[in-house]
Amino acid sequence: MHGVKRVKQTPEALEAKRQKERAKIHEFLDLSDKLLTRRKDSDFSEESFKLTTRLLHINPEFYTIWNFRRNILTNGLFPGSTQEKVNNILAGELMMTMTALKSHPKVYWIWNHRRWCLENVPFGPGEEGSETYQQWRTAAWDNELFVVERLLDADARNFLAWGYRRYVLASMPVPRSDASELAYTTKKIGANFSNFSAWHQRSKVLTKLWADGTLNEKTSREAEFDLVTNAMYTEPADQSVWVYHRWLVGSNPGKSLLLREIKSIGELLEEQPDSKWCMESIVHYARIFLKLYPEDGAAAGLRERTHQLLRELQELDPFRRQRYIDLRTTV
Amino acid sequence: MTSKELLVPLHVKYIQKLGENKDDLTYHLTSHLRLNAVYWGLTALAIMGHQDALDREEMIAFVMSCWDEEAGAFGAHPDHDAHLLSTLSAIQILIMQDALDRVDVDRVVKFILSLQQPSGVFAGDKFGEIDTRFLYCAVNALSLLGRLGELDVEKTVEYLGRCRNYDGGFGATVGAESHAAQVFVCVAALAILDRLEEVDTDTLGWWLAERQLPNGGLNGRPEKLEDVCYSFWVLSALSIIKRVPWIDSDKLSEFILSAQDTENGGIADRPGDMVDVFHTLFGVAGLSILGYPGLVDLDPVYCMPAAVIEARGLRKDWQALPRKAISS
Repeated sequence: MHGVKRVKQTPEALEAKRQKERAKIHEFLDLSDKLLTRRKDSDFSEESFKLTTRLLHINPEFYTIWNFRRNILTNGLFPGSTQEKVNNILAGELMMTMTALKSHPKVYWIWNHRRWCLENVPFGPGEEGSETYQQWRTAAWDNELFVVERLLDADARNFLAWGYRRYVLASMPVPRSDASELAYTTKKIGANFSNFSAWHQRSKVLTKLWADGTLNEKTSREAEFDLVTNAMYTEPADQSVWVYHRWLVGSNPGKSLLLREIKSIGELLEEQPDSKWCMESIVHYARIFLKLYPEDGAAAGLRERTHQLLRELQELDPFRRQRYIDLRTTV
Repeated sequence: MTSKELLVPLHVKYIQKLGENKDDLTYHLTSHLRLNAVYWGLTALAIMGHQDALDREEMIAFVMSCWDEEAGAFGAHPDHDAHLLSTLSAIQILIMQDALDRVDVDRVVKFILSLQQPSGVFAGDKFGEIDTRFLYCAVNALSLLGRLGELDVEKTVEYLGRCRNYDGGFGATVGAESHAAQVFVCVAALAILDRLEEVDTDTLGWWLAERQLPNGGLNGRPEKLEDVCYSFWVLSALSIIKRVPWIDSDKLSEFILSAQDTENGGIADRPGDMVDVFHTLFGVAGLSILGYPGLVDLDPVYCMPAAVIEARGLRKDWQALPRKAISS
């Protein structure tokens, strides 16, 4: 149970709650028994289907009933239906699960059912080769992106929704461009720098855009440094920004890039002398520098600075004191 | 009211009474998690040194009543469909109760192996939802059953490697954001498979240590709220990579203890919220890793009593904090 406040209840209030729930429990158990019996009897009728709708409305986490519902569709309702009818039924499923997601955005089984529906949208209308042959499928998948965007509007960090978004983008019959996904992450980050989910997605999309040459990696990377530096100055205590910065610098950066970023973060540290993340990041990049370029002229100064910062971090961030102590022995 | 001590007798009573809540709607609406809940309750009791507080025979009978004959595995409740989540819980309970002889192990192994996908990940059931959680369930269960030899280890490890992110963490699928619970399942699966070289220990240790918030609690991702269950997800991963000292254990213990219901027992996600058996286990499990006095050692890889895992020769090289002495 997440985020439900504990309230102290009087015995009278508890009894009243029990009374109120008794009818609901009865309805639920009755429906549940009926459906589990029908499931055993392989009763794939329209009537069974309607009962699953009622039960899943009460309890969308009852995975066995979602399974039964899919079995009813596959074995009961689809056979003998025209492709158009199948498409309509699945459109109804998508509508029903949309309503369920609005009140239960973190129930895996609902997302799961949607995947199954989308994957079963038939080709059509029309025969193979006709212009409209992909129409139902394209429409369903396009709409899906719209749906997932509404859910991310409601909770920009819902990781089920982000995972689903990646799944939709990877499965659409007419793929959406990575450039438009990049624009989506720009929008989400612009709305809230703390949205690490959007920064994460951005790192994945940029990797693709750089690899396939859609974006020039060098200039695009520089633009990212501008964006993230701007975010650092706005929200210097926000982890998302610093984690993304680490990705941008990467694990094997050039000497001048490292020195430039250490200098730039150092300037922010002068403005924000208590910024843990400035100190922690300088230490991180200095350690990379010392590992990659131990003979460089700048190494001695960086080593000394790292030791100094690690001493300061022990005081400033006592929860993680042991880590800073351990790091000092490695520099 | 909060307590600075773990209220063991109260939590034992809370867990014992869970099965009596049949006039509570929530009890019925969570039937899809019943077998998991039995595992959470039993493990919490075992870690508190009170495994006998629930009737063994009754529990074994319940587990066996969840057997799905068609699939050859366990559902979460009698007449519910088999799933990897409930199958792992069933195996864990039967092993803790030393009653594995009741199960047709060959069929369970067949069920588990049938769910591995060409990519190496596992589906939770035949409907095909994939997630590294299910991969962990499969690896854990096969290991407990002594049948890891039948798993395609390379394929499994390769998938886990593809789920690793630059921040050192792991996600639910390839491309997904790092999440502390997914970090636990991936790192624990790699530990069972003796492939921890796939983990970037220092980077992951950093990311995990940064989950601790000013109130002492741990969150699951950057810029999110604390929650008692992350005490286990984060701590188990830290103990597998031997970095538990990288967070403040006293502050975390205080946070977990402050989420107890000091009147009726149980632990909640955070102070003042409704308790449940899931958070009760993961609060107690976290405290055990932190060396809380009087608790039984928990194996962070399998999330079962360490002695049970040792007796099967499955112990891996993890490190919890030393057990503190009970102060009088």
